[in-house]
Amino acid sequence: MIVTLTVNGELRSASVPPETTLLVMLREHLHLTGAKTGCDVGDCGACTVIVDGLAVNACLMLAAQADGRTVTTIEGLATREGLHPLQKVFEETGALQCGFCGPGVIMTSKALLDHTPEPTPQEIRTALTGNLCRCTGYVKMIEGVQEAAAMMRSPQSPALAGQSPALAAPEQK
Amino acid sequence: MAQDLMDRELDVLDKERVAPVETLRRSDEALRLPAVAPPTALPLEPPLVPQVGEQTRAVGLRAQRPDSRNHGLGLTRYIDDIALPGMLFAKIKRAGIASARIKRIDTSRAEAMPGVCAVLVGSEIPVNSFGPSLQDQPLLAHPIVRHAGDGVAAVAAVTEQIAQAAIDAITVEYEPLPGVYDALEALKPESYKVHGGDTNVYASKVIKRGDVEAGFAQAYRIYEGRYYTPGIEHAPMEPFTSIADWDANGRLTIHASIGRITLARCDLARTLAIPISRIRVIGTVVGGNFGGKNEIRHEPVLALLAKKAGRPVKGRFNRVEEFVASTIRHAFHMDYKTGVTKDGRLIARQVRMVLDGGAYCSFSETTLGKACILSTGPYEIPNSLAEGYVVYTNKTTAGSMRGFGAPQVCFAYESQMDEIARDLGIDPVEIRLRNMFREGSMSSTGQVLHSVKVKESLENAVKKFGWEVQS
Repeated sequence: MIVTLTVNGELRSASVPPETTLLVMLREHLHLTGAKTGCDVGDCGACTVIVDGLAVNACLMLAAQADGRTVTTIEGLATREGLHPLQKVFEETGALQCGFCGPGVIMTSKALLDHTPEPTPQEIRTALTGNLCRCTGYVKMIEGVQEAAAMMRSPQSPALAGQSPALAAPEQK
Repeated sequence: MAQDLMDRELDVLDKERVAPVETLRRSDEALRLPAVAPPTALPLEPPLVPQVGEQTRAVGLRAQRPDSRNHGLGLTRYIDDIALPGMLFAKIKRAGIASARIKRIDTSRAEAMPGVCAVLVGSEIPVNSFGPSLQDQPLLAHPIVRHAGDGVAAVAAVTEQIAQAAIDAITVEYEPLPGVYDALEALKPESYKVHGGDTNVYASKVIKRGDVEAGFAQAYRIYEGRYYTPGIEHAPMEPFTSIADWDANGRLTIHASIGRITLARCDLARTLAIPISRIRVIGTVVGGNFGGKNEIRHEPVLALLAKKAGRPVKGRFNRVEEFVASTIRHAFHMDYKTGVTKDGRLIARQVRMVLDGGAYCSFSETTLGKACILSTGPYEIPNSLAEGYVVYTNKTTAGSMRGFGAPQVCFAYESQMDEIARDLGIDPVEIRLRNMFREGSMSSTGQVLHSVKVKESLENAVKKFGWEVQS
């Protein structure tokens, strides 16, 4: 079956078997390997992508269910001009160690910040409950999300210079 | 006309040649993000070599990993992000029964499925064993299954779904055997012997210093306790994944997220009976190791499937396999007997530990050795005796994991230290300070220690978490 998605602002389509998950479609058919296969059953969150503004486990969504929707993956966050504030802060705070959970954590955090620009630490923890990390102990990630949120709220922030409006502002559903 | 074209091309080249390097570099930077993060801005002016007794200046500062930018961008290529042309997907059928004899395996339905390129069972494998120290682990169990995670058959197919369907279509008939599921049970003479023979003990170690009996005779009080720590799965975020690829000259390339490449090559060379020079192992970025990715696991099976099918084969553990078919931390049963003087000085300690090695050896010997060496703790004890045994049980194989046995014994000796302190009415910090290694102390193995900072570390920690205020 033909599935057509808007992935990172680009219209992409692929012919996939009906049992194909969104994760397999992204990784194997569209060659976007940023979302990872950690458990393939929706436990670990390493495959998190944003579908129509909501963070979803790509391993639990069929590609067909995403047909016609807008998907943002980790590859769609940075622009030529710079990193997304979350990517910048995660790099600076050492929030990623082996990095395998990183794309998922960043996408979940982005979805959170799009809806809640000023999250409390508890809100960040709640948002990240679906993302397992075995290396960091989460502390630096939570600090990182808070820092990125502050950076995104301040209009003078150098991190946002040259940021495309689609990324700086919450995604429209 | 041709001459004219040539001239024009030369013009272009000339122009590029005269562009200064800096201009080129800037234009390059304008086109793409720098892949590697700029170096960490830590105040690391010389001397960079840490000095004894001096606080390392990086402590407490933020540090960046050189690869963190690529991690955040999703550009890091882990093993599962690599695909070779024509690559097949492999699945291994797990026994699901802890102790049994395989009576019959029927792979005919799997072999007839369209899309299945190779099927492998244990009886076909010429050298059906591997392992980093003792080669006691079969690639695919035949005929004895020793734990539920043992592979019994493997399939390579064009997609993961077909491979899974083929695995499900393989039927195995088992004759259940008795089993042993507890390390202490496994020590008993009448217990079921996992690998045959007359004992389940496959490694032991004794470390002796002074005379413990004399020490106990002098002791004011003697404390005895049994401590237990369970098995723990490493649970890396990235499941075990590897790709096996043979070239036309019969050389094997294994891509794997593995930490010990040469060990893997040695083990593969023995199992596949080819010279080590014909095996290349490419270690990829590791998505979490924690000690669990130190040895080969399904790589020889993938290599044989790839050989059979004539195409590269990728295998990826699912989360269940990650728990049942990988290694775990050894479960420890520890008996501690410690003699102390009236003022809380340890004068004798006897340790006896039994490690649950699971079905196969893996890194058990290393773990046992380290656990025995460290079992008396960071304390100066004139008389000590540590004995350790590793036993086979019909459970998930125990192997290397962070610390190689050190955390288990630490749990035991520090728990007992607290019990002694409570009983003698001495502050738990104080009793540790009285017994701790000092400059020139001798460890239980007879090693004279230098640069001993354990007292300062404890005092520092006590200050930082406000112990004084609490007590």
